Amino acid sequence: MKDVWKKTLPALALAVAVGLGVAAVVLGDRLDRPMSGLCFGAAGMLGGLACSRLLTAHWERKWTPEQRREMDRAERDERNVAIREKAAHTSWYWTLYLLWAAFLVTLVLGSGFPTALVSVLIVLHCLFLMVNLGRWARRM
Amino acid sequence: MTNRIAALRKARGLSQAELADAVDVTRQTIISLESGRYNASLLLAHKIARFFGRTIEEVFLFEEEEL
Repeated sequence: MKDVWKKTLPALALAVAVGLGVAAVVLGDRLDRPMSGLCFGAAGMLGGLACSRLLTAHWERKWTPEQRREMDRAERDERNVAIREKAAHTSWYWTLYLLWAAFLVTLVLGSGFPTALVSVLIVLHCLFLMVNLGRWARRM
Repeated sequence: MTNRIAALRKARGLSQAELADAVDVTRQTIISLESGRYNASLLLAHKIARFFGRTIEEVFLFEEEEL
């Protein structure tokens, strides 16, 4: 059942994405701007995710058993896992610096809503780290 | 921390890929271990030592200041 979902979900998501995109184009001016933006945004996001999943599945089908074993090993390899964790850790800091830079820019420009939005993002960014630190501290 | 993986592997006439297959890691991990860029986890150190029929201390050489 899980496998069926794994195979059909990307195709379903692509169909929904195409449907949303077509609806946004056909309805055109009859849709107000936020709704049109939402339709195009959701279509782009779903379409991107679905296409990447479908393409990956297509390539995976072409792998020989030896290549599949190599890919599985590379996925589990402890050095690769360590690299991914270090990259994620560094990325967290880079994202934080980027958010602080955006916060300063919004302060300089004197814009209210973007400043509040970036502040919320900074708080959430740090909160997610703390939540995950707690989760992993309990597990290890 | 240094190690004798390259010497032990060559003494057995094994390639890096064969050793990687034997301990279930990628060849790149063996390359990094041999060059000292990466330190193995306790589990991998145990697997490698057991593969060569040695103790961990015989394969992985700890410097005094690391202990």
